[in-house]
Amino acid sequence: MGWLDERLGLEAAFKFAQKKQVPIHKNSVWYYAGGIALMLMVIQFASGILLMVYYVPGLEAAHASILRINSQVDFGWFFRSIHSWGANLLIAVLVGHLFSAYFMKAYRKPREFTWYSGLVLLVICLGFGFTGYLLPWDDVSFFATKIGLDIASKMPVFGEAAASLLRGGHNIGQGTLSRFFVIHVAVLPLLCLGLMGLHLLFVQMHGMSEPGYFKKLEAAKRTYEKFFPNFFLKDVLVWLLALNGLAALVTLYPWGLGPEADPFGAAPIGIKPEWYFLAPFQFLKLVPPQVGPIEGELFGALLMVLACSGMVIVPFFDKGESADKAKIATYYGLVLLLGIIAFTIWGALS
Amino acid sequence: MNYPVWIVPYLGGGWIIGIIAIIHVYLSHFAVGGGAFLAITEGLAYKRKDDRIYDYLKTHSRFFMILTSVSGAVTGVAIWWAIALVNPDGTAILIQNFTLAWALEYLFFAAELATVFVYYYSWDKISKEQHLLLARLYCFLSIMTLVIINGILTFMLTPGLWIKTHYWLDGFLNPTYFPSLIMRLLIMFAIAGMYAMVTSSRLQDQDLRSYMAKYCAKWLLPIFLAGPLVAFWYISNVPQATMSTIFTGIQSSGVGNFSILARTLYLSLILSGTIVLFAYFGPYLNPKGFTFRIAILFLACGLGATGSTEYMRELLRKPYVVYNYVYSNGIRKEDVPRLSQEGFLNAGVWSKACTAQGENNEQRGEVMFRYQCMSCHTATGYRSMKKLLGERDEDAIYGFLTMLKETNPEKNQYLGIMPPLTGRDEELKDLAKYLSTINKANVNLTFKPN
Repeated sequence: MGWLDERLGLEAAFKFAQKKQVPIHKNSVWYYAGGIALMLMVIQFASGILLMVYYVPGLEAAHASILRINSQVDFGWFFRSIHSWGANLLIAVLVGHLFSAYFMKAYRKPREFTWYSGLVLLVICLGFGFTGYLLPWDDVSFFATKIGLDIASKMPVFGEAAASLLRGGHNIGQGTLSRFFVIHVAVLPLLCLGLMGLHLLFVQMHGMSEPGYFKKLEAAKRTYEKFFPNFFLKDVLVWLLALNGLAALVTLYPWGLGPEADPFGAAPIGIKPEWYFLAPFQFLKLVPPQVGPIEGELFGALLMVLACSGMVIVPFFDKGESADKAKIATYYGLVLLLGIIAFTIWGALS
Repeated sequence: MNYPVWIVPYLGGGWIIGIIAIIHVYLSHFAVGGGAFLAITEGLAYKRKDDRIYDYLKTHSRFFMILTSVSGAVTGVAIWWAIALVNPDGTAILIQNFTLAWALEYLFFAAELATVFVYYYSWDKISKEQHLLLARLYCFLSIMTLVIINGILTFMLTPGLWIKTHYWLDGFLNPTYFPSLIMRLLIMFAIAGMYAMVTSSRLQDQDLRSYMAKYCAKWLLPIFLAGPLVAFWYISNVPQATMSTIFTGIQSSGVGNFSILARTLYLSLILSGTIVLFAYFGPYLNPKGFTFRIAILFLACGLGATGSTEYMRELLRKPYVVYNYVYSNGIRKEDVPRLSQEGFLNAGVWSKACTAQGENNEQRGEVMFRYQCMSCHTATGYRSMKKLLGERDEDAIYGFLTMLKETNPEKNQYLGIMPPLTGRDEELKDLAKYLSTINKANVNLTFKPN
């Protein structure tokens, strides 16, 4: 240990971990969300690397390679199911983590960069979901990607250029598959690792955020526990529980594979995107084809961007100096969250 | 086919047995493991002269007595009702072979119940030495119920020499008897520790709570150390055809019936593995932070591991009730050639009576469905025939049924998970006719013979 300590400074890291404290209050349970997300991220990287051994990103080979993983490779279906279910759970946990941080006002000074890095990490994970969805090259993923890119192309200024760049031409084909594969296994992982490192660094620098009611308590009434070993040991238990939840989903509902994509065929009836894109999908269905001089999809997309922009400007709007602004920020968060939930359920049921 | 059929729409009779049996396993394992826990922990309190542990045991034993004696007894009787209704032919074989064993088990169970009541109501009324003796007596009696029932449960998967001799003791002391007995004892100790963690997490005394959390965690140590070895011993005695079904699931698609055994095995291994880690990182390393909520979640994981392992054990003997002897639909393996040649419907007392009342081919087909398929399938619910048959028409269904009639594994790939279909060609055609009606519309079981 001494040899390692001289080179890695383990003693200092250990002391820091012992010094770090976690506040204990009625919403402390949300502090575990970040740890679960980190664990799921590690699982995604590990299972993704295993899948890459057998996956072939070719137009003729992609679907067949996933079929082979699913039906011939030892433990193939197991790791594919882990990757697919893990991705869904990760996004669900990240959304929970984001909104819990939001309602605890964790975006306020000095945690603005922690907030932004978390926000970008969620966008990156949605990007993982979008690009990974196409890779099996089955009919649902093909048409869902087509719809997604069509919507993206309607965005002003860079929309068409970005969609064309992702598509690799006018139609979805080998170019799209190659681009999505590279983005999914190289570009996004690099961005994700870098940002995750920064996010964790910021969390260590500023410590755990405390909700307003906790800060207002007298010093004697504010209770804390040591991050190491107390909170860390409980964190491990929560990881194990999350792992068990993932294992139950993987084994009880293994991930299937649809028929191979036929670009010249009709889109499957009632096609829907993954649940995390259901809210915008459902919202866009409500917008008429033309709103005044603006095309309906563009109008809808702009409205959604506007609705979500509050998450970006909130650190500068609600700095903790005005109670009214704090209230407005809370109501905005509530409306946004309830809107997302309502549109997702509506989308799933429709 | 000699008894009436119990129709459970949507859920199927198998799930009725399954749900009751899994709850009963949770309670009965707690009853046996908990008996050892009470005896050893009371011995500890006596040795340490620690009244705080005595006080804890008084509370814990009330919870223990109510849970095991009331709920355990109710679910135990419910299993009898359920298996007798869902699979009367299979149950009859078990009763005929193990009459003496079951009578003995009942005696031990009655004595166990009486002891637990005396144990609970005699706190502070008899000497500590006498009370400790009662705890040890209860422990012995509860283990004896396991010693007996384990012989019957393991017989169903590995009947051993009984297949040739039909002597009950040959079936009782079968190849998996001892590994199963040890494995169950290890699981029971672990479950007792987990239940006790829940009750001890409510203790007000901080020091005692920490001490008990750590003490309860140690009850998982035996299964951690000996579990893998005993599991290997058990698996090496399981029929090799069953093992190949597990490997089929590892190599084949995760979606579908062929992988169900492998999937359950994975779940059981993951849950069991994480429980040991949970016990180490939770109550053992951080006993002060081990709260009631965490204890409940821990127990849920433990019960999940036990439930999935039990479910896997049940699946291991598919498609039999008694391996290599009676199929899950109650048909004896040795009767298959005769029934296929002479016909199925008229071979059984009750199926014959039902068939006589059938007015057309479709109704006779429905009787075939009830006796040969319904022990595992439902028309439109669990393992739905409607879903499994898909778009097949009557001819296609008949073709599929003739394949299911094959007893050569090379011609019938379903033999590892389903009994072969028996009956003459006309009976298969009747069945195909009936199944094609399920296929077309939401037709459920309609034929009601008097």
